Amino acid sequence: MKESSLSMTWRMIFLAFLLPPLLILALDITFYGSFKGIDSGVSFTRFANATLTAYTLCSLFLLGNLFFYGESRNRPLAPLVGMVVATLLGILATVFFIGQGPMLLEDNGSVQAQAIYNIVHMFVSSGAILMSVCVALGVTFSAITSQKPRSDFDLEEE
Amino acid sequence: MNIQGFEYDMDEMLQALLLFWIPVAMVPLGLWFSLSSQSKSTMANGRFLAFLGIIMVCLSPWSVPSSPSSAAGHLLGAVIGPCMLIIIGIYLISFSGNVAVGKLPRSDRRLGVLMSGSGFVWLAGMHWWILTPQLSPDVVNPYWYVFWPTFILLTSCLASCSAVTLLTLGDRRRAESNAMFILSGLSILILLLGINIDGPLVEANEFREHLWLAIADMAGIAVGSLLSILIFAFVIYTYERSLPPPKSIHPPTSSELDQVSKLLRNHLGGEEE
Repeated sequence: MKESSLSMTWRMIFLAFLLPPLLILALDITFYGSFKGIDSGVSFTRFANATLTAYTLCSLFLLGNLFFYGESRNRPLAPLVGMVVATLLGILATVFFIGQGPMLLEDNGSVQAQAIYNIVHMFVSSGAILMSVCVALGVTFSAITSQKPRSDFDLEEE
Repeated sequence: MNIQGFEYDMDEMLQALLLFWIPVAMVPLGLWFSLSSQSKSTMANGRFLAFLGIIMVCLSPWSVPSSPSSAAGHLLGAVIGPCMLIIIGIYLISFSGNVAVGKLPRSDRRLGVLMSGSGFVWLAGMHWWILTPQLSPDVVNPYWYVFWPTFILLTSCLASCSAVTLLTLGDRRRAESNAMFILSGLSILILLLGINIDGPLVEANEFREHLWLAIADMAGIAVGSLLSILIFAFVIYTYERSLPPPKSIHPPTSSELDQVSKLLRNHLGGEEE
Protein backbone atom coordinates (compact mmCIF):
# COMPACT_ATOMS: atom_id res chain seq x y z
CA MET A 1 0.00 0.00 0.00
CA LYS A 2 1.32 3.47 -0.87
CA GLU A 3 2.34 5.71 2.03
CA SER A 4 -0.18 8.45 1.17
CA SER A 5 -3.01 5.94 0.88
CA LEU A 6 -1.98 4.34 4.21
CA SER A 7 -2.01 7.71 5.93
CA MET A 8 -5.47 8.37 4.46
CA THR A 9 -6.62 4.99 5.84
CA TRP A 10 -5.34 5.86 9.33
CA ARG A 11 -7.16 9.19 9.17
CA MET A 12 -10.38 7.43 8.17
CA ILE A 13 -10.01 4.97 11.08
CA PHE A 14 -9.43 7.85 13.50
CA LEU A 15 -12.45 9.72 12.14
CA ALA A 16 -14.55 6.55 12.46
CA PHE A 17 -13.56 6.41 16.13
CA LEU A 18 -14.73 9.99 16.66
CA LEU A 19 -17.90 9.56 14.59
CA PRO A 20 -20.37 8.43 17.33
CA PRO A 21 -19.83 11.38 19.74
CA LEU A 22 -19.77 13.81 16.79
CA LEU A 23 -23.03 12.34 15.51
CA ILE A 24 -24.71 12.74 18.90
CA LEU A 25 -23.38 16.30 19.14
CA ALA A 26 -24.71 17.09 15.64
CA LEU A 27 -28.14 15.63 16.48
CA ASP A 28 -28.19 17.62 19.73
CA ILE A 29 -27.41 20.87 17.92
CA THR A 30 -30.00 20.08 15.24
CA PHE A 31 -32.83 19.37 17.68
CA TYR A 32 -32.01 21.68 20.61
CA GLY A 33 -29.95 24.39 18.90
CA SER A 34 -27.14 24.20 21.48
CA PHE A 35 -24.82 21.86 23.38
CA LYS A 36 -27.48 20.82 25.87
CA GLY A 37 -26.17 19.46 29.16
CA ILE A 38 -22.52 20.45 28.68
CA ASP A 39 -21.07 22.42 31.58
CA SER A 40 -17.59 23.35 30.41
CA GLY A 41 -16.35 24.02 33.98
CA VAL A 42 -17.43 20.61 35.31
CA SER A 43 -16.15 18.87 32.16
CA PHE A 44 -12.77 20.57 32.49
CA THR A 45 -12.53 19.54 36.17
CA ARG A 46 -13.24 15.93 35.20
CA PHE A 47 -10.75 16.07 32.31
CA ALA A 48 -8.01 17.51 34.53
CA ASN A 49 -8.62 15.03 37.34
CA ALA A 50 -8.69 12.12 34.88
CA THR A 51 -5.44 13.32 33.25
CA LEU A 52 -3.58 13.66 36.56
CA THR A 53 -4.86 10.34 37.93
CA ALA A 54 -4.22 8.43 34.70
CA TYR A 55 -0.71 9.87 34.48
CA THR A 56 0.13 8.93 38.08
CA LEU A 57 -1.37 5.42 37.99
CA CYS A 58 0.09 4.65 34.56
CA SER A 59 3.53 5.88 35.73
CA LEU A 60 3.28 3.58 38.76
CA PHE A 61 2.44 0.65 36.48
CA LEU A 62 5.36 1.47 34.17
CA LEU A 63 7.65 1.82 37.19
CA GLY A 64 6.78 -1.80 38.00
CA ASN A 65 7.66 -2.73 34.42
CA LEU A 66 11.12 -1.21 34.84
CA PHE A 67 12.04 -4.12 37.13
CA PHE A 68 11.59 -6.49 34.17
CA TYR A 69 13.59 -4.13 31.95
CA GLY A 70 16.33 -4.05 34.63
CA GLU A 71 16.67 -7.85 34.51
CA SER A 72 18.27 -7.62 31.05
CA ARG A 73 20.44 -4.61 31.95
CA ASN A 74 22.25 -5.58 35.17
CA ARG A 75 19.72 -3.69 37.32
CA PRO A 76 20.63 -0.06 36.55
CA LEU A 77 19.44 2.57 39.04
CA ALA A 78 19.28 5.57 36.69
CA PRO A 79 16.01 4.77 34.82
CA LEU A 80 14.42 3.60 38.07
CA VAL A 81 15.23 6.91 39.73
CA GLY A 82 14.01 8.79 36.63
CA MET A 83 10.67 7.00 36.68
CA VAL A 84 10.28 7.39 40.47
CA VAL A 85 10.82 11.15 39.99
CA ALA A 86 8.24 11.20 37.16
CA THR A 87 5.70 9.37 39.36
CA LEU A 88 6.37 11.63 42.35
CA LEU A 89 5.90 14.61 40.06
CA GLY A 90 2.46 13.27 39.13
CA ILE A 91 1.49 12.77 42.81
CA LEU A 92 2.77 16.25 43.78
CA ALA A 93 1.01 17.88 40.81
CA THR A 94 -2.25 16.12 41.75
CA VAL A 95 -2.02 17.25 45.39
CA PHE A 96 -0.96 20.78 44.38
CA PHE A 97 -3.70 21.36 41.81
CA ILE A 98 -6.48 19.83 43.93
CA GLY A 99 -5.27 21.94 46.87
CA GLN A 100 -5.69 25.14 44.84
CA GLY A 101 -9.36 25.30 45.76
CA PRO A 102 -12.60 24.50 43.99
CA MET A 103 -10.98 24.26 40.52
CA LEU A 104 -10.37 20.49 40.74
CA LEU A 105 -12.51 19.63 43.77
CA GLU A 106 -15.66 17.88 42.60
CA ASP A 107 -18.23 17.09 45.32
CA ASN A 108 -15.48 16.38 47.87
CA GLY A 109 -14.37 18.46 50.82
CA SER A 110 -10.64 17.77 51.02
CA VAL A 111 -7.62 16.95 48.88
CA GLN A 112 -7.44 13.44 50.35
CA ALA A 113 -11.12 12.72 49.65
CA GLN A 114 -10.81 14.03 46.07
CA ALA A 115 -7.63 12.00 45.43
CA ILE A 116 -9.27 8.80 46.71
CA TYR A 117 -12.42 9.56 44.68
CA ASN A 118 -10.22 10.07 41.57
CA ILE A 119 -8.57 6.67 42.04
CA VAL A 120 -11.90 4.84 42.54
CA HIS A 121 -13.40 6.75 39.60
CA MET A 122 -10.43 5.67 37.48
CA PHE A 123 -10.99 2.00 38.45
CA VAL A 124 -14.64 2.21 37.36
CA SER A 125 -13.79 4.01 34.10
CA SER A 126 -11.00 1.52 33.38
CA GLY A 127 -13.43 -1.35 34.02
CA ALA A 128 -15.88 0.16 31.53
CA ILE A 129 -13.08 0.74 28.99
CA LEU A 130 -11.79 -2.83 29.41
CA MET A 131 -15.30 -4.22 29.00
CA SER A 132 -15.96 -2.23 25.82
CA VAL A 133 -12.59 -3.28 24.36
CA CYS A 134 -13.50 -6.93 25.12
CA VAL A 135 -16.92 -6.52 23.47
CA ALA A 136 -15.59 -4.71 20.36
CA LEU A 137 -12.69 -7.16 19.83
CA GLY A 138 -14.85 -10.18 20.67
CA VAL A 139 -17.64 -9.19 18.25
CA THR A 140 -15.07 -8.45 15.50
CA PHE A 141 -13.52 -11.88 16.04
CA SER A 142 -16.88 -13.65 16.10
CA ALA A 143 -17.96 -11.79 12.93
CA ILE A 144 -14.81 -13.06 11.20
CA THR A 145 -15.13 -16.65 12.45
CA SER A 146 -18.83 -16.84 11.57
CA GLN A 147 -18.06 -16.51 7.83
CA LYS A 148 -17.57 -19.55 5.61
CA PRO A 149 -13.95 -20.71 5.32
CA ARG A 150 -12.18 -19.21 2.31
CA SER A 151 -10.64 -21.36 -0.37
CA ASP A 152 -6.97 -20.69 -1.20
CA PHE A 153 -7.79 -21.34 -4.88
CA ASP A 154 -10.04 -18.23 -4.97
CA LEU A 155 -7.14 -16.12 -3.79
CA GLU A 156 -4.77 -17.64 -6.34
CA GLU A 157 -7.25 -17.02 -9.19
CA GLU A 158 -7.39 -13.33 -8.24
CA MET B 1 -31.55 -2.43 47.96
CA ASN B 2 -31.06 -1.06 51.46
CA ILE B 3 -27.48 -1.61 52.65
CA GLN B 4 -26.96 -2.09 56.37
CA GLY B 5 -23.34 -2.60 57.33
CA PHE B 6 -21.79 -4.72 60.05
CA GLU B 7 -20.85 -2.96 63.30
CA TYR B 8 -17.14 -2.75 64.27
CA ASP B 9 -15.18 -0.95 66.98
CA MET B 10 -12.56 0.21 64.52
CA ASP B 11 -11.36 3.49 63.08
CA GLU B 12 -13.18 4.20 59.79
CA MET B 13 -9.95 4.84 57.86
CA LEU B 14 -8.40 1.60 59.12
CA GLN B 15 -11.61 -0.24 58.30
CA ALA B 16 -11.53 1.13 54.72
CA LEU B 17 -7.84 0.21 54.39
CA LEU B 18 -8.30 -3.36 55.65
CA LEU B 19 -11.63 -4.18 54.03
CA PHE B 20 -11.52 -2.20 50.78
CA TRP B 21 -8.07 -0.99 49.71
CA ILE B 22 -6.08 -4.13 50.63
CA PRO B 23 -8.61 -6.37 48.79
CA VAL B 24 -8.39 -3.98 45.80
CA ALA B 25 -4.59 -4.37 45.82
CA MET B 26 -4.96 -8.16 46.12
CA VAL B 27 -6.58 -8.37 42.65
CA PRO B 28 -3.65 -7.10 40.50
CA LEU B 29 -1.14 -8.75 42.87
CA GLY B 30 -2.89 -12.12 42.52
CA LEU B 31 -3.13 -11.73 38.74
CA TRP B 32 0.58 -10.85 38.60
CA PHE B 33 1.49 -13.98 40.60
CA SER B 34 -0.73 -16.21 38.48
CA LEU B 35 0.60 -14.86 35.18
CA SER B 36 4.30 -14.49 35.97
CA SER B 37 5.05 -17.55 38.09
CA GLN B 38 6.31 -20.87 36.69
CA SER B 39 5.23 -22.87 39.74
CA LYS B 40 1.70 -24.32 39.63
CA SER B 41 1.07 -23.77 43.33
CA THR B 42 2.01 -20.05 43.10
CA MET B 43 -0.24 -19.71 40.05
CA ALA B 44 -3.14 -21.31 41.94
CA ASN B 45 -2.46 -19.14 45.01
CA GLY B 46 -2.36 -16.04 42.80
CA ARG B 47 -5.72 -16.89 41.25
CA PHE B 48 -7.19 -17.53 44.70
CA LEU B 49 -5.81 -14.20 45.96
CA ALA B 50 -7.37 -12.29 43.02
CA PHE B 51 -10.70 -14.13 43.47
CA LEU B 52 -10.71 -13.41 47.22
CA GLY B 53 -9.94 -9.76 46.48
CA ILE B 54 -12.88 -9.49 44.07
CA ILE B 55 -15.25 -11.13 46.60
CA MET B 56 -14.09 -8.81 49.40
CA VAL B 57 -14.46 -5.73 47.16
CA CYS B 58 -17.99 -6.86 46.22
CA LEU B 59 -18.79 -7.28 49.94
CA SER B 60 -17.38 -3.85 50.84
CA PRO B 61 -20.81 -2.07 50.89
CA TRP B 62 -21.66 -4.35 53.85
CA SER B 63 -18.19 -4.60 55.42
CA VAL B 64 -17.29 -0.86 55.13
CA PRO B 65 -20.57 1.02 54.62
CA SER B 66 -19.02 4.23 56.01
CA SER B 67 -16.55 4.49 53.09
CA PRO B 68 -17.93 6.20 49.96
CA SER B 69 -15.44 4.15 47.90
CA SER B 70 -17.39 0.99 48.73
CA ALA B 71 -20.00 2.16 46.18
CA ALA B 72 -17.51 0.97 43.54
CA GLY B 73 -17.59 -2.50 45.14
CA HIS B 74 -21.38 -2.36 45.04
CA LEU B 75 -21.27 -1.51 41.33
CA LEU B 76 -18.83 -4.34 40.68
CA GLY B 77 -21.22 -6.77 42.35
CA ALA B 78 -24.10 -5.40 40.28
CA VAL B 79 -22.45 -5.50 36.84
CA ILE B 80 -20.22 -8.56 37.15
CA GLY B 81 -23.14 -10.90 36.27
CA PRO B 82 -24.19 -9.29 32.96
CA CYS B 83 -20.57 -8.59 31.99
CA MET B 84 -19.59 -12.24 32.50
CA LEU B 85 -22.66 -13.33 30.50
CA ILE B 86 -21.61 -11.06 27.61
CA ILE B 87 -17.96 -12.18 27.65
CA ILE B 88 -18.74 -15.92 27.92
CA GLY B 89 -21.42 -15.52 25.22
CA ILE B 90 -19.00 -13.83 22.82
CA TYR B 91 -16.42 -16.54 23.56
CA LEU B 92 -18.95 -19.28 22.70
CA ILE B 93 -20.01 -17.50 19.48
CA SER B 94 -16.42 -16.93 18.37
CA PHE B 95 -15.11 -20.43 19.01
CA SER B 96 -18.13 -22.26 17.59
CA GLY B 97 -17.36 -20.70 14.20
CA ASN B 98 -14.58 -21.42 11.73
CA VAL B 99 -11.51 -21.52 13.95
CA ALA B 100 -8.43 -23.68 13.48
CA VAL B 101 -7.96 -24.60 17.15
CA GLY B 102 -10.19 -24.97 20.20
CA LYS B 103 -13.36 -25.37 18.11
CA LEU B 104 -16.58 -25.71 20.10
CA PRO B 105 -19.73 -27.57 18.96
CA ARG B 106 -21.99 -25.66 16.54
CA SER B 107 -24.84 -25.73 19.11
CA ASP B 108 -22.82 -23.46 21.42
CA ARG B 109 -23.41 -20.57 19.00
CA ARG B 110 -27.10 -20.32 19.97
CA LEU B 111 -26.21 -20.51 23.65
CA GLY B 112 -23.61 -17.78 23.12
CA VAL B 113 -26.08 -15.49 21.34
CA LEU B 114 -28.61 -16.09 24.14
CA MET B 115 -26.03 -15.40 26.86
CA SER B 116 -24.60 -12.20 25.38
CA GLY B 117 -28.10 -10.98 24.43
CA SER B 118 -29.31 -11.56 28.01
CA GLY B 119 -26.24 -9.73 29.32
CA PHE B 120 -27.00 -6.66 27.21
CA VAL B 121 -30.71 -6.77 28.13
CA TRP B 122 -29.74 -7.03 31.82
CA LEU B 123 -27.51 -3.93 31.52
CA ALA B 124 -30.23 -2.05 29.61
CA GLY B 125 -32.67 -3.08 32.37
CA MET B 126 -30.41 -1.27 34.81
CA HIS B 127 -31.13 1.95 32.94
CA TRP B 128 -34.78 1.60 31.93
CA TRP B 129 -36.18 -0.90 34.39
CA ILE B 130 -36.05 -1.74 38.08
CA LEU B 131 -32.56 -3.26 38.00
CA THR B 132 -30.67 0.04 38.52
CA PRO B 133 -27.89 -0.39 41.13
CA GLN B 134 -29.17 1.47 44.22
CA LEU B 135 -27.25 2.14 47.43
CA SER B 136 -30.53 2.77 49.28
CA PRO B 137 -34.11 3.02 47.97
CA ASP B 138 -34.20 5.59 45.12
CA VAL B 139 -30.50 6.47 45.53
CA VAL B 140 -28.68 5.37 42.38
CA ASN B 141 -25.08 4.22 42.79
CA PRO B 142 -23.08 7.26 41.54
CA TYR B 143 -20.56 5.06 39.78
CA TRP B 144 -23.33 3.62 37.56
CA TYR B 145 -23.37 7.05 35.87
CA VAL B 146 -19.66 6.59 35.16
CA PHE B 147 -19.72 2.97 33.98
CA TRP B 148 -22.78 2.91 31.70
CA PRO B 149 -22.14 5.95 29.43
CA THR B 150 -18.41 5.15 29.18
CA PHE B 151 -19.10 1.53 28.23
CA ILE B 152 -21.78 2.28 25.63
CA LEU B 153 -19.98 5.27 24.07
CA LEU B 154 -16.62 3.52 23.78
CA THR B 155 -18.26 0.36 22.41
CA SER B 156 -19.87 2.41 19.65
CA CYS B 157 -16.56 4.23 18.91
CA LEU B 158 -14.51 1.02 18.82
CA ALA B 159 -17.12 -0.85 16.76
CA SER B 160 -17.19 1.97 14.20
CA CYS B 161 -13.38 2.02 14.17
CA SER B 162 -13.27 -1.77 13.70
CA ALA B 163 -15.84 -1.60 10.86
CA VAL B 164 -13.77 0.95 8.92
CA THR B 165 -10.57 -1.00 9.62
CA LEU B 166 -12.13 -4.20 8.23
CA LEU B 167 -13.30 -2.29 5.14
CA THR B 168 -10.06 -0.47 4.41
CA LEU B 169 -7.31 -2.83 5.59
CA GLY B 170 -9.15 -6.17 5.34
CA ASP B 171 -9.62 -8.24 2.23
CA ARG B 172 -13.30 -8.93 1.28
CA ARG B 173 -14.53 -8.18 4.81
CA ARG B 174 -17.72 -6.29 3.89
CA ALA B 175 -20.07 -8.68 5.76
CA GLU B 176 -17.96 -8.51 8.94
CA SER B 177 -17.71 -4.72 8.58
CA ASN B 178 -21.51 -4.47 8.31
CA ALA B 179 -21.89 -6.48 11.54
CA MET B 180 -19.61 -3.99 13.30
CA PHE B 181 -21.53 -1.02 11.86
CA ILE B 182 -24.73 -2.60 13.23
CA LEU B 183 -23.14 -2.89 16.71
CA SER B 184 -21.98 0.72 16.55
CA GLY B 185 -25.43 1.85 15.37
CA LEU B 186 -27.17 -0.07 18.18
CA SER B 187 -24.85 1.52 20.76
CA ILE B 188 -25.54 5.00 19.35
CA LEU B 189 -29.28 4.20 19.46
CA ILE B 190 -29.01 3.23 23.15
CA LEU B 191 -27.16 6.51 23.83
CA LEU B 192 -29.79 8.55 21.95
CA LEU B 193 -32.60 6.78 23.84
CA GLY B 194 -30.73 7.39 27.10
CA ILE B 195 -30.41 11.14 26.54
CA ASN B 196 -34.05 11.50 25.51
CA ILE B 197 -36.12 8.98 27.49
CA ASP B 198 -36.23 8.88 31.31
CA GLY B 199 -35.80 5.60 33.16
CA PRO B 200 -37.60 4.92 36.48
CA LEU B 201 -34.56 6.24 38.40
CA VAL B 202 -32.20 7.61 35.77
CA GLU B 203 -33.38 10.86 34.19
CA ALA B 204 -32.50 11.70 30.60
CA ASN B 205 -30.92 15.07 31.50
CA GLU B 206 -28.75 13.47 34.17
CA PHE B 207 -27.62 10.78 31.72
CA ARG B 208 -26.84 13.48 29.13
CA GLU B 209 -24.63 15.35 31.62
CA HIS B 210 -22.79 12.17 32.50
CA LEU B 211 -22.34 11.28 28.84
CA TRP B 212 -20.34 14.47 28.24
CA LEU B 213 -18.45 13.86 31.48
CA ALA B 214 -17.60 10.37 30.21
CA ILE B 215 -16.12 11.94 27.06
CA ALA B 216 -14.05 14.34 29.22
CA ASP B 217 -13.01 11.39 31.37
CA MET B 218 -11.88 9.25 28.42
CA ALA B 219 -10.00 12.18 26.87
CA GLY B 220 -8.27 12.77 30.21
CA ILE B 221 -7.35 9.10 30.56
CA ALA B 222 -5.94 9.06 27.01
CA VAL B 223 -3.88 12.23 27.57
CA GLY B 224 -2.58 11.15 31.00
CA SER B 225 -1.64 7.63 29.86
CA LEU B 226 0.08 8.89 26.70
CA LEU B 227 2.02 11.43 28.73
CA SER B 228 3.30 8.79 31.15
CA ILE B 229 4.20 6.43 28.27
CA LEU B 230 6.13 9.26 26.58
CA ILE B 231 8.01 9.99 29.80
CA PHE B 232 8.76 6.28 30.26
CA ALA B 233 10.12 6.09 26.70
CA PHE B 234 12.16 9.27 27.29
CA VAL B 235 13.67 7.84 30.52
CA ILE B 236 14.67 4.58 28.76
CA TYR B 237 15.99 6.46 25.70
CA THR B 238 18.09 8.82 27.84
CA TYR B 239 19.55 5.91 29.81
CA GLU B 240 20.34 3.81 26.73
CA ARG B 241 21.98 6.83 25.04
CA SER B 242 24.18 7.50 28.07
CA LEU B 243 25.60 3.95 27.98
CA PRO B 244 29.17 3.65 26.57
CA PRO B 245 29.37 1.93 23.16
CA PRO B 246 30.13 -1.82 23.44
CA LYS B 247 33.87 -2.67 23.36
CA SER B 248 35.01 -3.86 19.96
CA ILE B 249 37.41 -6.81 19.84
CA HIS B 250 40.63 -7.00 17.83
CA PRO B 251 40.45 -8.56 14.35
CA PRO B 252 41.56 -12.23 14.16
CA THR B 253 45.28 -12.87 13.74
CA SER B 254 46.65 -14.90 10.82
CA SER B 255 47.23 -17.96 13.05
CA GLU B 256 43.60 -17.80 14.24
CA LEU B 257 42.39 -17.51 10.64
CA ASP B 258 44.52 -20.53 9.72
CA GLN B 259 43.02 -22.52 12.58
CA VAL B 260 39.45 -21.61 11.49
CA SER B 261 40.11 -22.55 7.88
CA LYS B 262 41.64 -25.86 9.03
CA LEU B 263 38.56 -26.63 11.12
CA LEU B 264 36.22 -25.69 8.28
CA ARG B 265 38.15 -27.88 5.83
CA ASN B 266 37.88 -30.85 8.22
CA HIS B 267 34.12 -30.47 8.57
CA LEU B 268 33.11 -29.69 4.99
CA GLY B 269 32.69 -32.08 2.13
CA GLY B 270 32.29 -35.59 3.59
CA GLU B 271 33.45 -38.95 2.34
CA GLU B 272 32.74 -40.10 -1.18
CA GLU B 273 30.77 -43.36 -1.53
